[in-house]
Amino acid sequence: MNLALPNYFLADLPPGATLTQTLIEEACQTLKRNRESYLVQRTTPAIIRLLGELAENWLQAQYPFRAMALEHGPKATGFSAATLAAGLDGFFKELTAENLQALLVQDLGQAQRLDNPTAGSAEQKAQRAAIATGPELLAHVTAGRIPNPAFTSIVLGLLTRSAQFVKCPTGGSFLPRLFAHSIYDADPKLGACLEIAEWRGGTAHLETTLFQQVDCVTATGSDEALAAIRRHVPPKARLLAYGHRVSFAYITKESLSGSSPKKIVARAASDVVAWNQLGCLSPHVIYVENGGAVLPDHFAQMLAEELARREQTEPRGELPVKSAAAIASRRAFYEVRAAHSPDTQRWGSENSTAWTVIYEADPRFQLSCLNRFIYVKGVRSLAEVLQNADSVRGSVSTVGLEAPEELATEIVAQLARWGVTRVCPLGRMQNPPLTWRHDGRPSLGDLVTWTDWEQ
Amino acid sequence: MSSFNLSPLSNFAARLRDAMGTPAFLSGEAEFQRFSLELFAWQFEHNSVYRQFCRARRATPDSVCDWRNIPALPAAAFKELEVTSLPVAERTRVFHSSGTTQQFPSRHFHNSESLELYETSLLAWFPARWLSSRPVCKINVTTAGSNLFEKGGASKGGVGASVISEPGGTEPLSFLSLTPRSGEASTSSLVHMFETLARKFAPRNSTFTGRVGADGGWEVDLPGTLEVLESAIARHHPLMLLGTAFGFVQLLDHLTAARKRLQLPDGSRILETGGYKGRSRALPKNELHSLIRELLGVPFHDIVCEYGMSELSSQAYEVKQLPPRAEFQRTTLHAPRPTVFHFPPWARAQIVSPESGREVSDGETGLIRVFDLANVWSVMAIQTEDLGVRRGDGFELIGRAVLAEPRGCSLMSV
Repeated sequence: MNLALPNYFLADLPPGATLTQTLIEEACQTLKRNRESYLVQRTTPAIIRLLGELAENWLQAQYPFRAMALEHGPKATGFSAATLAAGLDGFFKELTAENLQALLVQDLGQAQRLDNPTAGSAEQKAQRAAIATGPELLAHVTAGRIPNPAFTSIVLGLLTRSAQFVKCPTGGSFLPRLFAHSIYDADPKLGACLEIAEWRGGTAHLETTLFQQVDCVTATGSDEALAAIRRHVPPKARLLAYGHRVSFAYITKESLSGSSPKKIVARAASDVVAWNQLGCLSPHVIYVENGGAVLPDHFAQMLAEELARREQTEPRGELPVKSAAAIASRRAFYEVRAAHSPDTQRWGSENSTAWTVIYEADPRFQLSCLNRFIYVKGVRSLAEVLQNADSVRGSVSTVGLEAPEELATEIVAQLARWGVTRVCPLGRMQNPPLTWRHDGRPSLGDLVTWTDWEQ
Repeated sequence: MSSFNLSPLSNFAARLRDAMGTPAFLSGEAEFQRFSLELFAWQFEHNSVYRQFCRARRATPDSVCDWRNIPALPAAAFKELEVTSLPVAERTRVFHSSGTTQQFPSRHFHNSESLELYETSLLAWFPARWLSSRPVCKINVTTAGSNLFEKGGASKGGVGASVISEPGGTEPLSFLSLTPRSGEASTSSLVHMFETLARKFAPRNSTFTGRVGADGGWEVDLPGTLEVLESAIARHHPLMLLGTAFGFVQLLDHLTAARKRLQLPDGSRILETGGYKGRSRALPKNELHSLIRELLGVPFHDIVCEYGMSELSSQAYEVKQLPPRAEFQRTTLHAPRPTVFHFPPWARAQIVSPESGREVSDGETGLIRVFDLANVWSVMAIQTEDLGVRRGDGFELIGRAVLAEPRGCSLMSV
């Protein structure tokens, strides 16, 4: 996309410019040099200050990069301006100095770990201290159109004072590129330690060249894509691979018997609408426990009404014909079922595929075709949910939970034992905090190398 | 055939078979309209699954006055329900959708009458003229009508007339199919189609080299296939080679591995159909055809593609237009421009917007909806999950809409 942005990054090159191995190699050398000159000596508080200010800027309507994202984003990403605005707000509200501090303490024990050898009380007693060091050059291979994983990767890389090369999928660099430009704008020297490029995943000669230059690679993508990346990463570099995950919601009957089922419905709709449900953290299915004041099929109907309202204020946006065809075909399938059995009901936008709710009494977990296509299924208990979600066991990231406090602890323990790595309130599924342990792993902690000092 | 004393559907089928002999008859809008609305009324009455679907859409024979508004049943319904008006006892044959990964295949039930109609439809529209090993004149495919098959192809009383007997024709083609025979694959409509063609056009000279593998998927007996191909080459005897795209890829990969490049005798033809179903690596069509040209020596204009489904009873073909003579040499070296699939006059394709369900404008992409009058005992109006570009009254095939079928236990679609 031709934006009035200077050519700082490879992704800024005009369309049709060919990336070569030499270009990648040179970019990596420059990144390493710039890191040595501009980044290594920065302190953690300085980086945190910069990131906090940057986030505050991104939350301002008149901030040029935000304005550009909302103006050109719908065409570049397929998300409507309202969806983009909500998604960007969700991310940048979390990016505060306080949360960054909390992340450092959570993952590294001490906020100064990346600056000096420090010690917690237990370490002091043992007369030990430790300092953590980030990779010299960090490569991120991102997937999909949701920018949060790329944004988070860049933030973590800045904290660890790593030079960073962000490889985006074809057509997926728009928002990471704007974020990188905003960093460059705030602090050109830091921006010079960052590279953004875009090429088709699996382009072996470019990826092999890149991976040879780095000492750590983070990658998100399908199992197949990750396996290919694994083959190209040399033994000297570390690979942090995050496979595709699916998520669902679970609403207990007790919560629906409370005073605010409408609020629960609204929160569920937020999770379906956020980033058009395209993230690993978005729900495919909302399990509603039978026996509450709102029965599952009624819940589905309320959710449909809410999604229709949301479409007015936060439209889904246009889809490529293939994705729309997938929704149309899936709807057609359930139209046949619904015509023959009351156990299936369906609601959907008229004359568009903007949103779809399928209610099924059958509790079997079903992968959605996404883009605001949600299943609501009735269940008797959490045990029944887990039994019916067995097909995705081990691949579930987030469960959006609505449960009274007295039940929640036990439910979370059960989910954890089953393999779920994140439980959050409904309505926040697509907005994990900075301290979120991605797929159950400490995201910052996994980036660093420790130097232990036994005094 | 007399239509006296027949059930309404049999009666309809008999009249349709007659009409297929004079295809221009059904090319007319009024005739197609009349046949469609009549069949819709019978199917509404006799097919309970379809009736219930139409009722949910509030469509009845009284409310529908145009064939375009006849409710199109999603093809997926054939997986879940028995979409047929044949009583259980009369279902002598069933065609399943292909592919090994589906938990529930489509089921299209047939009896002898519906198979007879299927075969009549097949032979009447099969571009028999194209089989002739003489250089073929320009084939006009710009309008649906009686033009895919020329004179000898499907005149009344001579439906499916074989090129073998065509005056002026040269040596007949022998048939080699890369699929199994129906003995091994009785539920494949494609195999039934190939066998029907072989019976008609090469009754004494057809070979089937596919087999059903241990996992239930089809494989090509590669040494056996090579033997037939090489023997045809040695005898300068042109071949009609039929197969699925994945069957051809298996064969072409084998030739590549063996560093073999064949030159099939002049006049040889290729009929390619279907997708890959995970049975081989998948190739874009142009690439597949380039490989066929390179490794089997068959030029682009002698490769015909077929589009069919187990849920239908008629097929569409993509017959390439021959370039003007002056360009002939040059263009045979390059893949011709995308060509267009046409159904016979008794079946019509509509390309509909997945967003609105309405027919798209020319050149736009949408889901393929087929109205196939030959689907007498199942349902005429079928909504497929395939994408196509509307080109006049034909379509260019794009492929299957992704994620169409809900899958319960696979992360493939994430």
